[in-house]
Amino acid sequence: MALIYELTPAIVLLPLASFALALFFGKWLPKRGAVVGSLATAGTLGLSLVTLGWLLATGEPHNQTWYTLVDAEATFDLTFGILIDQLSAAMLVIVSLIAFLVHVFSLGYMNDEDEPGLPRYYAGLGLFSASMLAFVIADNLLMAFVFFELVGLCSYLLIGHWFTDDAPPSAAKKAFLVTRFGDYFFLVGVVGVLVTFGTANFAGSGGFPALAEEAITAGETFFGFDAETWFSVLGLLVLGGALGKSAQFPFHTWLPDAMEGPTPVSALIHAATMVAAGVYLVARMYGFYALLPTVLGIIAFVGGFTALFAATMAVVKNEIKQVLAYSTISQYGYMMLALGAGSYVAAFFHLTTHAVFKALLFLGAGSVIIAMHHDEDMWEMGGLKNEMRVTYLTFLAGSLALAGIFPFSGFWSKDEVLFETLIHALGGSPLLFGAYAMGLAAVFLTGFYTIRMVLLTFHGEPRSDTAEDPHAVRWNVKLPLSVLGVLAVIAGGINLVPVEKLSGGNLHVAFLEGYLERDLGLLTHGEHYSELLHDYAGYQSAYVGSEVTTLLLGAGLSLGLALLGAGLAYGLYRGASPTRHTEKLGGIRTLLMNNYYQDEYQVWLAKGATVRLSAAADTFDQGVIDGAVNAASSVSLFSGSRLRRIQTGIVTNYAALLLLSLLALLVVFAILGGWL
Amino acid sequence: MVLETVPAEYYLVLSAAVFCAGLFGVLTRRNALLFLMSVELLLNAANINLVVFSFYWGEITGQTFALFVVALAAAEVAVGIGIILVLHRNFGDVDVTDATTMRW
Repeated sequence: MALIYELTPAIVLLPLASFALALFFGKWLPKRGAVVGSLATAGTLGLSLVTLGWLLATGEPHNQTWYTLVDAEATFDLTFGILIDQLSAAMLVIVSLIAFLVHVFSLGYMNDEDEPGLPRYYAGLGLFSASMLAFVIADNLLMAFVFFELVGLCSYLLIGHWFTDDAPPSAAKKAFLVTRFGDYFFLVGVVGVLVTFGTANFAGSGGFPALAEEAITAGETFFGFDAETWFSVLGLLVLGGALGKSAQFPFHTWLPDAMEGPTPVSALIHAATMVAAGVYLVARMYGFYALLPTVLGIIAFVGGFTALFAATMAVVKNEIKQVLAYSTISQYGYMMLALGAGSYVAAFFHLTTHAVFKALLFLGAGSVIIAMHHDEDMWEMGGLKNEMRVTYLTFLAGSLALAGIFPFSGFWSKDEVLFETLIHALGGSPLLFGAYAMGLAAVFLTGFYTIRMVLLTFHGEPRSDTAEDPHAVRWNVKLPLSVLGVLAVIAGGINLVPVEKLSGGNLHVAFLEGYLERDLGLLTHGEHYSELLHDYAGYQSAYVGSEVTTLLLGAGLSLGLALLGAGLAYGLYRGASPTRHTEKLGGIRTLLMNNYYQDEYQVWLAKGATVRLSAAADTFDQGVIDGAVNAASSVSLFSGSRLRRIQTGIVTNYAALLLLSLLALLVVFAILGGWL
Repeated sequence: MVLETVPAEYYLVLSAAVFCAGLFGVLTRRNALLFLMSVELLLNAANINLVVFSFYWGEITGQTFALFVVALAAAEVAVGIGIILVLHRNFGDVDVTDATTMRW
């Protein structure tokens, strides 16, 4: 085994160590744990980069059970293990990079602002990074579930960091409960997978996706269902967890509230850890989903719908972080759409670029919030571009990437998502046209709300006293912003599929695609997924005219819509003092500001339906179940109280009882033995 | 010897009579001392049987057992007297029907 793979556990253990140190000795550590945390995540980043480099250079993956929790001979073992393939190696780099930058940024956002509870905060960040990294390298579904849950717990702790206020604890509880609701399905799915296949391993010919493929080919039946139906049920159950964590409709409501947490935490949650976990989970077991056309269709539609649905709400929001929150939901919708539409590479590509530009946008928003003395209302800002040069330029780069403007990173990835959806829709899956249309409409809205956000925040005249004289930010804010700003511009370069196609295949610049499709013998490479999609889900590619025509058409359409949205926003909100145009939307605006009353119906679902159901169940429990138990106990209590009266305490009585019993026994034996 | 001329049934009847006397004492007496004496009677009824059968079978084992029982009875009396003393100290009497406080 290569040395680097012997060091893989350290990728997880370093942030875990920083968690333990910050938790127990945080008070005495330099910067209350920030230094330790930064060093640990920097180490993790280094190790991840070496791992990725090693994988690129040698093409030798790693798939090994590390620890056996339960060693069951008759059924199945429950194990923890490490799986390093193309997907997890790349994800490790993304997660550790963002975690490192967030630690550095926190120095500026938390330490410099003298926030309370810093050791607790850095302990939370450490545990958050550690559990996400462990989730990424998990080699089986059970381990993935365990760390998926830990990620949820950490988000609860960090969102509720300022627990003395009213809103953060409530938002933390909401995030925890809503994602838990999805996780119930996930848990049932894990058990189902284990029972069905006897293993929950992701990769290799002994992994459950490979076994599922064999079962479908062999036409096996499970519990009276044919293989595909049964697997679809399992796939949907696991998908419940993924939708909850990735804040997809209808589980998206926790995410905007999660903005109550510190801004660096928002960056971490949205870019690399919690929300990415759901999409990563689906990508991780894509060999399983690629067999199930029904589930893929559901994923595509939920994704497309969420992309559009969230984008509409982002249009009217006034707080900078709220706009970003809804844009996150929307962008993860694109990733789900890509996965559902059968483009694994595009989904991961968008996950990568989104991680970069969304972390950048959140950290940029954090920088603005520092400058504005923690006022988040965009209508109080304006004119910040002259005061905050670095923040403005990097934030602008991130925004253009988010809006999908050529040649920023978001353009390449979003375009590939839409292009793949389009060609698969043309190739005989017409239902995908619906998802594609929703994705396209969301492109327009994304362009609109992004530029609106930039203009309101940075352009025009300052609209408040704080905006006139903003608080300065230091290097520890500017450094992460600059790193991410550069990446947001160039990250699209890792997968220039359109350029390769336009050059007629002469220019090999689709690096990510080549990387993910390389066969490492684990059955987790893109090529294999494409075959599965073709053979089992019936996904085929077709083009309008030639491939290049379709490519240009699709790219032109999405870029045109993005520019149209951006241009509309520019037209409406430029100038020294823009007016509140969204007020004119009237009833629609009320609907959007109230988030389509999603919270209200979920509260009703909890209070009106669930509480009543629980009350009925409680009555049944207290009356019938407990009634039976209590009745049994009162019978024995009553008979006991009667029976104890033979214990008189008088020795003579006992002697008489003994004698009588002996005589009775003798008589019985005599009769039974035939002596009489 | 005269023992040999007496049939075994006589001894058994004697033993049964002693046993019944003891049993009667245990079941009717309230005085703890009389109680103890009745128990002695029960033990000795058993002893008679042991000795007689031993004799008739020409085996010494039964008589050995009888000796053991005598020794045990002595020990039992020692303990019993002790209990009776404590009984008297606590209840001011040696009536066994008074000492009923250890039940439910």
